[in-house]
Amino acid sequence: MLLNFERLGWLKYVLLGITLLTALFLLLPIIFIAALSFGSSQWLIFPPPGWTLKWYSDLLADPRWLSSAWTSFRIAAIVTVLSVLLGLVTSFGLVRGRFLFRKTLRALFLTPMILPVVVLAVALYAFFLKIGLNGTMTGFVISHLVLALPFSILSISNALERFDKSIEDAAVLCGASPLEAKIRVTLPAISHGIFSAAIFSFLTSWDEVVVAIFMSSPTLQTLPVKVWATLRQDLTPVVAAASTLLILLTVILMALFALVRKGLKS
Amino acid sequence: MTTPFLKIEGIRKEYGPVVAVQDVNLEVERGEFLTFLGPSGSGKSTTLYILAGFDNPTRGDIKLNGKTLLATPSQKRNIGMVFQRYTLFPHLSVGDNIAFPLKVRRLPKHQIDAKVKEMLRLVRLEGFEDRKPAQMSGGQQQRVALARALAYDPPVLLMDEPLSALDKKLREEIQHEIRRIHQQTEVTILYVTHDQEEALRLSDRIAVFSKGVIDQIGTGPELYANPATRFVAQFIGDSDFLPCQMLHSANGRATVSVGGAVFSDVPLHETGKSEGAALMLRPERLSLTREPLQQRLAATVSDITFLGNNVHVATSTLSGDPLSVRLPFGHPAISGLSRGDSVWLGFEAASAHVFN
Ligand SMILES: Nc1ncnc2c1ncn2[C@@H]1O[C@H](COP(=O)(O)OP(=O)(O)OP(=O)(O)O)[C@@H](O)[C@H]1O
Ligand SMILES: [Mg+2]
Repeated sequence: MLLNFERLGWLKYVLLGITLLTALFLLLPIIFIAALSFGSSQWLIFPPPGWTLKWYSDLLADPRWLSSAWTSFRIAAIVTVLSVLLGLVTSFGLVRGRFLFRKTLRALFLTPMILPVVVLAVALYAFFLKIGLNGTMTGFVISHLVLALPFSILSISNALERFDKSIEDAAVLCGASPLEAKIRVTLPAISHGIFSAAIFSFLTSWDEVVVAIFMSSPTLQTLPVKVWATLRQDLTPVVAAASTLLILLTVILMALFALVRKGLKS
Repeated sequence: MTTPFLKIEGIRKEYGPVVAVQDVNLEVERGEFLTFLGPSGSGKSTTLYILAGFDNPTRGDIKLNGKTLLATPSQKRNIGMVFQRYTLFPHLSVGDNIAFPLKVRRLPKHQIDAKVKEMLRLVRLEGFEDRKPAQMSGGQQQRVALARALAYDPPVLLMDEPLSALDKKLREEIQHEIRRIHQQTEVTILYVTHDQEEALRLSDRIAVFSKGVIDQIGTGPELYANPATRFVAQFIGDSDFLPCQMLHSANGRATVSVGGAVFSDVPLHETGKSEGAALMLRPERLSLTREPLQQRLAATVSDITFLGNNVHVATSTLSGDPLSVRLPFGHPAISGLSRGDSVWLGFEAASAHVFN
């Protein structure tokens, strides 16, 4: 190793300091929000003058918050299922297919990842206006699917590319139909890729706000949109509580992801 | 006339402009161990894949017991195969890997368990059924793959260079196992390799592949003693070729002149190619003297290599063509021999071949 941490001398402490500052920089907003959500002040004063769970009970007592959380969850769940299924089919086509412009097509599938989200949102909004999908569950699902699918395709096709097709061929010679071989042998072998696809698809939809603002209606709101909308009306610590719960779920999902992935890989 | 067990009739396979297999014809007997031997790209794997049903031939037919196989999809052919790469199902244990083809066939559980046990015993891996493939060595994995391929009693077992990823010692050990398993199960085996030693050690017959056709089929000794083409002569055993002049030929025998010496009654093979006549000599069939004798080739020693029980003498004839001699260690003719010495090389006409 060119850079041996042990041999850096005093530089080692500088490096450690920079690392700590970076971590703090990334974590502070989260800690800040979490602290405010337990703070007793109406006005989001920091540091909080006292501690309370009031905002959480307010949050859980308000059916509008609960319904938007439920909406978010349903959309994310449907998007996850569709994204994994479509990602699987697409990946098989992209990895195994032998056709012209295969690479070009693959790049095309990944464009939503680099396109500015607001551009995508405006485009989807204009299009859905024409066909009457704005403010509907279907509209939400489709637009979030557009954002989630590239992640799904990326992680599944990566896993599929590393999987030796001969193993599937062996299953077919063993007497399994090509479909059965894929289900019983190939899918379990690339399960870590499928799992990543599911987690990332869920998270993409779960905390997406830009497209969701365009898609939402007064009766159909996702949690991030509700946070945003509430914040614009009045500055209540309930928003901080909602945000903290959002973050908590994300952290739990990521931890689960790391754990299961480790299990699947070994 | 009886129908052959397995018959490959005029198989040809083209991939766009590439002709992978030109025209392969072959008959295999039940229980035979037949090896496809040939250099890289000669079409061995392609022929095997067509048998397995992964690819359809551009032309030709395959018949098992007189019935065409081409209409049957891979999964219904009931053929076993061991691949070059490790193809155990990574998420299944060794036992479940072997049970897979039986579960797919929906056999009752007690029958599956019994068969898995029997197969593990056959490949001598009892006690390994709960291991995952990743916890096994390459050689063990290939033995499990063999057990899995034999679990459903296939009429034909295909093996595509199954040992090429293993080191030499392990390879020889598993060759031994394969030989034993073949004798024990009496399954018909088609085996692909580009290692002539492996082919000679394992097979009943060898089909020598060259550029998409089979040059010759025969037992090892047949191919060694009677190569049909220059290619086969080069591929089985060591050989040198000297350009020669045809003086006379009749009844498959030729009289040729090389470097002033005349040799008659040499077995002649007409190849139909216009490469010019060549005399093929095997290093272990040549004798060496230090004095000029009649009917001998004069040559100069260019190198002497000690190879354990053999000594390899590289020489160069008067016309500059390389010619090697292999003599047992301690042979009187080579004591004190050194580079640059003149020697005279002789051979029995029957041990040489003329290709014209
Ligand atoms: N799918 C394919 N597309 C195009 N060309 C192919 C394909 N498969 C094989 N070939 C070509 O066909 C020829 C024969 O290939 P094959 O794999 O049968 O050779 P082989 O005798 O098995 O060689 P090796 O010892 O390297 O495995 C090669 O020139 C190869 O490049
Ligand atoms: Mg090959």
